[in-house]
Amino acid sequence: MLMQDVSSQPASSLPKDDDVGVMVRNVSKGFGPEGAKITVLDDVSFDIKKGEFVSVIGPSGCGKSTLLKLVAGLSKADAGQVEINGSPVKAAAEAKSIGLVPQSPALLPWRTVLDNVRLPLLINKGANKGRDLRDPEALLRSFGLGNAMHKFPGQLSGGMQQRVAIARAFVFDPAVMLMDEPFSALDEMNRDQQRMGLLEFWQSNRKSVMFVTHSVPEAIMLSDRIILMAAHPGRIAEIIPVDLPRPRQEAAYATDAFRDLEGYVRNSLKKVMREAHG
Amino acid sequence: MANTTPTDTKLDGSALRPLRDYKLVAMALSSLPTIVTFIAVAVLWQLVAYSNPYVIPTLDAIGNSLMSSPQMYWANLLVTAQEIAIGASMGIFAGFILAVIMCEFPLIERAVMPLMVVIMVTPVVAIAPALVVAFGFGMLPKYIVTGLVVFFPMLVNSLAGLKEADPRALDVLRTLHASRWEIFRDLRFPVSMPFFFAGLRIALPLSVVGAAVAEFVAAGQQAGLGSLLTIAAAQANLPVIWASIALLCLLGIVLIAALAIIRKRVLWWSDENAVGR
Ligand SMILES: Nc1ncnc2c1ncn2[C@@H]1O[C@H](COP(=O)(O)OP(=O)(O)OP(=O)(O)O)[C@@H](O)[C@H]1O
Ligand SMILES: [Mg+2]
Repeated sequence: MLMQDVSSQPASSLPKDDDVGVMVRNVSKGFGPEGAKITVLDDVSFDIKKGEFVSVIGPSGCGKSTLLKLVAGLSKADAGQVEINGSPVKAAAEAKSIGLVPQSPALLPWRTVLDNVRLPLLINKGANKGRDLRDPEALLRSFGLGNAMHKFPGQLSGGMQQRVAIARAFVFDPAVMLMDEPFSALDEMNRDQQRMGLLEFWQSNRKSVMFVTHSVPEAIMLSDRIILMAAHPGRIAEIIPVDLPRPRQEAAYATDAFRDLEGYVRNSLKKVMREAHG
Repeated sequence: MANTTPTDTKLDGSALRPLRDYKLVAMALSSLPTIVTFIAVAVLWQLVAYSNPYVIPTLDAIGNSLMSSPQMYWANLLVTAQEIAIGASMGIFAGFILAVIMCEFPLIERAVMPLMVVIMVTPVVAIAPALVVAFGFGMLPKYIVTGLVVFFPMLVNSLAGLKEADPRALDVLRTLHASRWEIFRDLRFPVSMPFFFAGLRIALPLSVVGAAVAEFVAAGQQAGLGSLLTIAAAQANLPVIWASIALLCLLGIVLIAALAIIRKRVLWWSDENAVGR
């Protein structure tokens, strides 16, 4: 009951199979001066369908955040294309099609929780036309933050702050959600709770999601597919489908299918890590 | 501690009084060390003043001088206060605006910053006479000197503040395709405010120095506490010298106190434990 639907979504807006939300094609990216450039991403290609939840997992430094920033339009690829709903990222950003949840909540301490969530509606207003904006108050209430609405971020726990950051990314109804380890700063119990809350909310508000995480169970619980990355240079090692039925509840952790998949993902991850050290 | 217990039981909400009285007592207790220090210094001052009347005047002599010609002191105080108000405002404004421009256009920062450092390291005491030569004995050179003194700390602090914006919050705004103005209004400007106020904390006392120095230099000018001080020094009139110093000091204290009050109202969110009050 942590998060629930606030707008009844018509069935027609559910994803069709061939609809691509995020398209990444032959993307490469390096850092450093010309000549001494270090390749961070090497020829990365994948798709995220509309309404599909995809996790990205891999060893530290393999370029997950770099990849997410490319998809967010925050930095430019050296080669290759990134498209969102069929248009280049730049155009998608102009149309406010991208919701970003960073690793820390990054709320503005001088604004109340409600005003923090309202902010995306006030920025780049030209892109608000003809879209299904949410009511910030109703959204916060559905996130279990009804009582915190008029408080300031500094008065909230870390978990609550992160939930506000997620609400802030959902409020303007973006087509694509990008999350970079949104729960990594939380303790285990909080993390579990926030994870299930996000899952519940997403299951009734399907967006294309790219979710970077270090946690194998988290990736499995949330995702339709898991992109496993290898490092040096960063590339896709394997894309693992998660065929667990939805909607998923906490009980799913205890199923054999979940455990088998967890074992498999951990094994693949281990292989990737060994490769990096060898 | 005796007056912390309610002695009268009126029906006008006096039940709240014990708490308020307690707070008053706590406040008095916490400022006790300060009071003791001031009293000790005053006693020491008087001891030195009575045995060395040609070094410093007694406190009562200073007080008498202030009481005997209040209009004269008031008029001079107003002149200096005006120099500070106008000069410092100009310097603060210019420093902040230039910081905004430098933050938005790094090329300008690289081009102009070295020049700013040159201006900063040039002693104001040396610039002041040059300005008097250039602009005469009117108020303008005093505004400029006062402005110059506050300009640099305001520039440096504002620039640091504007650049302090959380890169993750910046990322969030950029994915929304926020304009430069929106990023400034909703992120950079508020984030810079604690730094801006820290700059003021340095700049405002300096502005008193700037105004006084400008008046020292423009020796022909009769008005202002700095001028008064120079003239009194030439006549070795100790009570007037020290009364002027005391008033300059008072100006600084008023500025700092006003700043602290404004800061508390504007920046409540930046003091972690004060959130929500
Ligand atoms: N702006 C930058 N300039 C230079 N190097 C960078 C920059 N950003 C990232 N890198 C390098 O790129 C590599 C990948 O970084 P990235 O942050 O994408 O890794 P990550 O997979 O997100 O790691 P983690 O799991 O620790 O968050 C790292 O080696 C990092 O040092
Ligand atoms: Mg990362």
